[in-house]
Amino acid sequence: MRRLSWLMGWRLLRRELKSGELTVLALALLVAVAAMSSVAFFADRIDSALTRQASQLLAADLVVNSRAPAEAAWQQRAQAQGLRQVPTATFPSMVFAREQAVLANLKAVASGYPLRGEVQIRTRQGVKQGTYSPAPGEVWADARLLQKMGLQLGDSVRLGSRNFVLAAEVLREPDGAVDVFNFIPRVLLNHADLAATGLVQDGSRIRYRLLVAGDAAQVKSYRDWLAPQLKPGTRLEDIEEARPEVRSALERARRFLGLTAILSVTLSAAAVALAVRRYLSRHWQSVAVLRALGQTAPEVATVWGSLFLWLGLLAGVLGALAGYGVQALLVYLARQWLGDGLPPPGWLAWLTGPLSALILLAGFALPPLLALRRVPAMAVLRADVPAGSRSLLAPLLALVALLGLTAWQIGDGPLALWLLSGLGGFLAAVGLLAWGIVLLLHRVPLSGAVGWRHGAANLARRPWLAVIQIAALSVSLLALLTLTVVRDDLIGAWQRSLPPDAPDSFLINLQPPQRAELTQTFAKVGRSAPEALPMTRARLTEINGKPVKAADYTDERAQRLVTHEFNLSWRDAANPRNQIVAGQWWQPGSRTPQFSLEEGLANTLRLKQGDTLTFDIAGTRWQAPVTSLRKVAWDSFQPNFFVIAPSGWMGGQAASYIASYRAPDAGFNNRLVAALPNVTVVDISAIVREVRAVIDRLALAIEAMFALTLAAGVLVLWAAMAATRDERLYDVALLRALGASRRQVRSVLLAELAWLGGVAGLMAGGGAMALGALVAVQLFNLPLALNLWLLPLGMLAGGSVVALAAWPLLRRVTHTPPSEVLRAN
Amino acid sequence: MTSSSVNSAILRAQAVTRQVSYHGQQLAILHDASLAVAAGESVAIVGASGSGKSTLLAILAGLDAASSGEVWLAGQPLSALDEDGRALLRREQVGFVFQNFQLMPQFTALENVMLPLELAGRADARNAAAAMLQRVGLGHRLDHYPRHLSGGEQQRVALARAFVLRPALLFADEPTGNLDPATGQQIIELLFELNAEAGTALVLVTHDTTLAARCAAVYRLTAGVLARGEA
Repeated sequence: MRRLSWLMGWRLLRRELKSGELTVLALALLVAVAAMSSVAFFADRIDSALTRQASQLLAADLVVNSRAPAEAAWQQRAQAQGLRQVPTATFPSMVFAREQAVLANLKAVASGYPLRGEVQIRTRQGVKQGTYSPAPGEVWADARLLQKMGLQLGDSVRLGSRNFVLAAEVLREPDGAVDVFNFIPRVLLNHADLAATGLVQDGSRIRYRLLVAGDAAQVKSYRDWLAPQLKPGTRLEDIEEARPEVRSALERARRFLGLTAILSVTLSAAAVALAVRRYLSRHWQSVAVLRALGQTAPEVATVWGSLFLWLGLLAGVLGALAGYGVQALLVYLARQWLGDGLPPPGWLAWLTGPLSALILLAGFALPPLLALRRVPAMAVLRADVPAGSRSLLAPLLALVALLGLTAWQIGDGPLALWLLSGLGGFLAAVGLLAWGIVLLLHRVPLSGAVGWRHGAANLARRPWLAVIQIAALSVSLLALLTLTVVRDDLIGAWQRSLPPDAPDSFLINLQPPQRAELTQTFAKVGRSAPEALPMTRARLTEINGKPVKAADYTDERAQRLVTHEFNLSWRDAANPRNQIVAGQWWQPGSRTPQFSLEEGLANTLRLKQGDTLTFDIAGTRWQAPVTSLRKVAWDSFQPNFFVIAPSGWMGGQAASYIASYRAPDAGFNNRLVAALPNVTVVDISAIVREVRAVIDRLALAIEAMFALTLAAGVLVLWAAMAATRDERLYDVALLRALGASRRQVRSVLLAELAWLGGVAGLMAGGGAMALGALVAVQLFNLPLALNLWLLPLGMLAGGSVVALAAWPLLRRVTHTPPSEVLRAN
Repeated sequence: MTSSSVNSAILRAQAVTRQVSYHGQQLAILHDASLAVAAGESVAIVGASGSGKSTLLAILAGLDAASSGEVWLAGQPLSALDEDGRALLRREQVGFVFQNFQLMPQFTALENVMLPLELAGRADARNAAAAMLQRVGLGHRLDHYPRHLSGGEQQRVALARAFVLRPALLFADEPTGNLDPATGQQIIELLFELNAEAGTALVLVTHDTTLAARCAAVYRLTAGVLARGEA
């Protein structure tokens, strides 16, 4: 009998798909699954592409950074796991050539370097790019060294006790850009030559890095194995910590994607809920017949349960395929920006479709399905048998399903919970408001045209239906408005965080008398000189009168900060790009001793406002309390300082100056160096370009995804409208049978829909306004004003979208003879 | 009512009462109704609209439960069975013909007739159903869906579905109520023919006294009170 029920479910599914009974539900599921799958596919591919791109900046997937060479056990383990590995060692050392000595950062790399990304070098044969490392006996140097020492390719260079041939100029090394303020020239040599230089001695300040790359799962398992056994002074680096500006871009992109995913999940759920409701209410009678013919309640539930299961699997598989197609099209359209090398989606992304269809059905079809068990056989004789009470199971199950699905989509449970509770609150508010408005329509005798009166009465006559429709509509409209209007605000704000005129050059070591020369050089190209900021090296010696020791801290960064000098500056007015998060900036012209600290530094050193700090600057003690903490945008490419003092107090101190600017033309930096020979100019345009490219690509991908969700939203909205078509069709048939003209019928229908769309649109507008503000402030740390235009826009969008969605219905109404509809009921 | 007819009764109702609560008041739709139907016997229940005919039918067929009293179907007291138990009993013993046909709209004529056979686990469901449709004159419309059949044809399918298992008892609820007189007449002829062939007991609910007169016994339901009337 069980088997029969399953077979009947399958048979029913085939029939109903053919006859169109399941069209709305199947379409709603298909659209939902396709939207979710394409988002999943796209996100998955972009994510792995980004991770790959990001690993290029690290030259590996994972780096083990230690003070001693990598232990043999680590390397054996990596090899056993099929991971590729390359050891590197970096340390500062003097480079001797042409009877000069210059301090450089040496990096010894083994062959196979880099594991991710490519090096770009210029040899005598020309420029080449790929996986290259210096051959034994050869070194490569960057432009800074070549320029400083006047070297040419082929020259001899001595490192320690060994001579090398300068074989190439390094144009780009993937992991070379990790430190933006890396002013010291760089030299690359082969790892095998390291011992021969004699530079590796006990106490040498050498950083050993073991670069590791391979299959993502293997890398993760390696990381999990290694992390617990690392000693102090050894740390793991991955892309998340390699580049803060790239990390913040990735983070924001993930959140944008999560937002689209949540919206598509919500849209789909609303449509599926409505479609299931419609389908089952139309099959009430069939269930009663089966019960009368002797099917038991569990058998009946199995018939329809299996039908939904089959449908879920079918829609899941087809939707996943459609989603893949949509995503492939998207990638094709965006290939110019995304490149051809997007990795294929992982197998988990393929599961998204079928699984989400089943979860959606479980959440939204199961409760009414279980209610089918309570359909009395008596209903074959009388149509007015009560259907049994509503239970709380439905919304609860739906909520759990939504939460699970969403958390799974964005891989961030708390964020999903946060957004869903917001959504839940919105739905509750909409439900209450809609209920109130419907009641009002019921009570208040409306005067005016017959259409408006009947339209309003139609809504009031079925309050539950009206509330459900308004809620579904407002969620859909909310999604549409968020996607169209709020999206622009958000993405725009994000892109503006790195403006087109962001500085691409740093100038350091400018002496005070040279500031006039600097102004002149800029004036020659018709530009005003950038603000030159004083900078001096300072060492923190005491906190609240107690000497500072590295041993007081376990954090490696804190230890580094208290044992090394770092840059300190002074100024009068606050930097508008810095945000004061605690305390107050001093009055202009203040001579009171005090410090303003960067928030991150304060956290690392466990300092707070009110602490008294003592700095040693060139042998002089400077003691003052901390009066403010600042938040600094490190990705702004502007000079920033950990510690700032008032000019009135510290201004007389000897200092060199630093400035950042955007070079007006290609030769400008060279001319500047010629005019001011002692200054160092650092060109960071490559890094700025790289970060901008990352942001632009992400923004494009996200916009493409928004467009997709938007399309899904329109389709799902249509499905939601179709779900209540029967009720309307019947009403209209009755009106026409009673002698209403087509024009009257149309006006009744349009009025009802206008009420519906208007009310839903108004609420959606308010919701989108609040959501946009919340998301901007809470999730993206972006400032955003309330956009009041969303309210009228929402009403307009609601009215038009509903009218558009109802167009097929209006047509059908005027073309279906009323007798047909009435007889069918 | 003779003692032999009571013993061999396929259906027996004893003092069946049905009350509903309406605005806090108890209304009796059925009051102390008793009847017996012997195997193969045909019984008509007549009454005006609203007299409680459908309620009585529902209780006799186990579709609804009585407030008090007892119904024995094929010797089994219905009050001792739960809804699923009654469903299984219906599956084995009962056939239905409804005023509004109640065919499954998503199934073809053949599949509608196969339904009770399949529910009973019959392996030859397809052949038996096809033969039955042949018998009611629809051998050429096996694969048609209900919406493509006329009212008379739909009721023939319903008759085929009702008789295909040769049930011990058939309930017919106004079987001609939705049909024109000529078609209704044909359906009635067919109903009685099939009834005779299968040896099925028939409980016919109708307001048509001429139709009722064709049954062996007639009960009249007036405002919830059932009385044995003239044949």
